[in-house]
Amino acid sequence: MQELVRRPWYHRRTENSGATKNGEFAKMKINRRKILSLLGVSPAILAGSPAIAEPKKQPAKAGEAKITTVNPKGIPPPIQLIPMAPRLDTLDGKTIYLVSDGFAGADRFLNQIAIWFQKNMPSVKTIYRLKAGSYFDDDPKLMAEIKANGNAMIMAYGH
Amino acid sequence: MQVEKMGFPTAPLVTIAFKDLAKSNAASRGMPGERICFLPHPMTNKTDEEMYKVLEGNDPVSNKPLMPEIIAALTQPLTAEEKKTGTTSPDIGPPTYTGTQDELQRLYCDNNLTDFMPIILPTEEKVEAMLKGTSHKPDEVIGKLSAAAGAQLSWSFTVRHVAINAVMAGASPEHLPVILAISATGQPSLFSSTSSFTRMVMLNGPISDQIKMNYGIGAMGPFAEPNAVIGRAWTILSKNLGGCGVAGLTYLGTLGSNFNYNNLCIAETENKLPDGWKPFHVQKGFKPDDSVVSIFSGWSLNNVAWFPNMPYHELIKNWLTHFFSFGTTAATLLLDPTIAREAKEKGFNSKEELSDYWSKESKTPAWLYWDTHQKELKQAQAGVEPYASYLKAGDSDIPFQRFYRRSRFGGPPDPNPKSSIEVIVLGGETNTYWAGGDFSYVTSQSIDKWR
Repeated sequence: MQELVRRPWYHRRTENSGATKNGEFAKMKINRRKILSLLGVSPAILAGSPAIAEPKKQPAKAGEAKITTVNPKGIPPPIQLIPMAPRLDTLDGKTIYLVSDGFAGADRFLNQIAIWFQKNMPSVKTIYRLKAGSYFDDDPKLMAEIKANGNAMIMAYGH
Repeated sequence: MQVEKMGFPTAPLVTIAFKDLAKSNAASRGMPGERICFLPHPMTNKTDEEMYKVLEGNDPVSNKPLMPEIIAALTQPLTAEEKKTGTTSPDIGPPTYTGTQDELQRLYCDNNLTDFMPIILPTEEKVEAMLKGTSHKPDEVIGKLSAAAGAQLSWSFTVRHVAINAVMAGASPEHLPVILAISATGQPSLFSSTSSFTRMVMLNGPISDQIKMNYGIGAMGPFAEPNAVIGRAWTILSKNLGGCGVAGLTYLGTLGSNFNYNNLCIAETENKLPDGWKPFHVQKGFKPDDSVVSIFSGWSLNNVAWFPNMPYHELIKNWLTHFFSFGTTAATLLLDPTIAREAKEKGFNSKEELSDYWSKESKTPAWLYWDTHQKELKQAQAGVEPYASYLKAGDSDIPFQRFYRRSRFGGPPDPNPKSSIEVIVLGGETNTYWAGGDFSYVTSQSIDKWR
């Protein structure tokens, strides 16, 4: 008894094609298309999908042949290394700016840092500031203020 | 980093969710050793007491006590590495790759050069063939692309770079001018924001028929080659030409968006516009015979299949009142031609008349108004009019028009407000349906310039 196996359509098609002799299947298909065309009906519609109605021949498999392709990446900008600022010997007696860049909660968290310094290092003076603009904008006015009055900065991104 | 450049030590604090982003950003801006201290994530919902406990705890990355680490960041002498100067170039890999087709498909996929679906491998021959789709020279620099201009690096790219990515997406040379125009807007399809932006790209003018864009049945679906490959090309080129789409580094959308696979690549159904209604590109100052690509930015789209007893323009007005998403101040309506015709029959002689009507007549739900107008809420509670009356009305919609261009939500109204609602007509007239979303118009670019 022949085993019934549901196989993908492309396998069934290959088997059907193999079963025909001397192009009989192709001839029959052409006639069907002609009839459908005369009736004003697209053969693709009756077949359910254009891919099934008109399967394209697949190119021969490349096998292990190697090919060369190109890198699709654009041009990232060169990066100029910036030396970090010299560190302070101590924070005693220094002024630290606590700067929020505006993310929700950063102001409250920096306030807790100010409280921590009051409790644990009371000689440190802290000044809270909210940076103007969005998180990636510069704030020249604030930078000038820190330059004039500050020694260091702690910046909080929140989230 | 600005403060470090001025000569003042800095301790940046970042939540752990952005560890890779912060380190990568510091490196790409020239300070790979920046002394970043990390906090738990999220911080926004913590009480003051919980925040103080964070200070007394450990940095979740280094596992060292946080406050001593912050103090050390400001006081510990610099290492030789931290003092380094000079220039470095990011590694983008070799100019070519060699292997079998399977090996190369895997290589492009594993190196985040694709949208993780199989690509057309960009051989030199295919790229040369693609370049025949434009009169521009391959080495012409088009512009810059970034995952977030100002916050992320801006990459440069040429016509040839775009052609390579167009090949990968499965595009044909006739599609290249459109893809070049999209790239020339400088807009990435994958924006880095945590809010999972999505983009929409629309074609207008003769190009739509020339390349056989589908703007009929299923205009927004996978039913035509140019819609599919042009939209796809935008995402692939955003990754490769702008460094976009590296999850955790240049892309942070927490949920992401499936729209990013194709970016809602559409063409307006210009031949079904009611009399007097201008095609979108003509509304933006182009001539009817110009071929133009327009870019929109937003998050979500609501496809509405509903047969109302009221006219559609009233239904959409009510939808605008109650539609809520991240973007609550701009909207784009995509109307099937049947809906557009009905609006014309109801007396709307242009898209502008319709969008002005919607901006003027739509309102704001009470909960949304009060949530975004805390200052007015206090005034309402103090008996100041008209806010006090709004508050007395309970859950009734507030007569506050959201859909006007403003600097930010809740900001002062413009003295000459313009509607922030865009109207697009597309679809196959198989039913009276429409879609609306929070997309806002970004820019347009000539396609003809890139032929």
